Amino acid sequence: MKSKHQRNRPNLSGGRKVSSSSCPRNQNRAYSEDGVDMTLIRWMLSFTPAERLQIAQQSAQSIQEMRNAVRGR
Amino acid sequence: MPSAAADYQAILRTLVDHKVDFIVVGGLSAMLHGAPIVTLDLDLVHSRDSQNLERFLQALESLDAHSRERTDRKIRPTLPFLDISGHLLLATSKGPLDVLGTIGDDLGYDELLKHTTEMEVAKDLHVRVLNLDKTIEIKEKLAREKDRAMLPVLRRALEAKRNPQPPARGQRKKRPKNS
Repeated sequence: MKSKHQRNRPNLSGGRKVSSSSCPRNQNRAYSEDGVDMTLIRWMLSFTPAERLQIAQQSAQSIQEMRNAVRGR
Repeated sequence: MPSAAADYQAILRTLVDHKVDFIVVGGLSAMLHGAPIVTLDLDLVHSRDSQNLERFLQALESLDAHSRERTDRKIRPTLPFLDISGHLLLATSKGPLDVLGTIGDDLGYDELLKHTTEMEVAKDLHVRVLNLDKTIEIKEKLAREKDRAMLPVLRRALEAKRNPQPPARGQRKKRPKNS
């Protein structure tokens, strides 16, 4: 049985996700033809610019904390 | 030594408080328009008007800005450094800041201004952000590998922005924690 992660990954060999959501008529598809995760784009667009700035900041801070932790080992 | 974590809001507020004319470009501008990408620095194009350069230099001093390219000593920006069309890679007390005189085909602040949107990115903090279509156009021309890699995400984000659809069920947004 595929994990949730595997189910949501695009089919790299074909460049398309193998699921009912890859149907071209389905406007709410999870991946675009070129493999872009459309769910993340819709999720980002649901925020205001101020909230997006916070997301950017939190992402950068998390990555920096991890980098610092790796360097500190 | 651990590097300073990015505090984009603090950098932007310092620049606005010093009345610096600038445009947010690059990864953060794309993200502010809704593209789901991660960036670790703040890129901006500033006006090279002489009075703006003075204000900008003061703002940079208050952020303890210095070159990221030299790690043995702090080389601080100067007016002549800010008055060039090239790129100045700075470290500040609030995180990395890339100061760009021009981007793309020698496009400076004045040329880019008509391709920007003013956004409120925090309470009472309004900044000019380069539009997504212009970002795509510039990255298409640059044709660098790192820019090409980002293009599909930017194009789809622009498409989705122009044809908005609600997030799927179970994908309701969770508000980021207030910082």
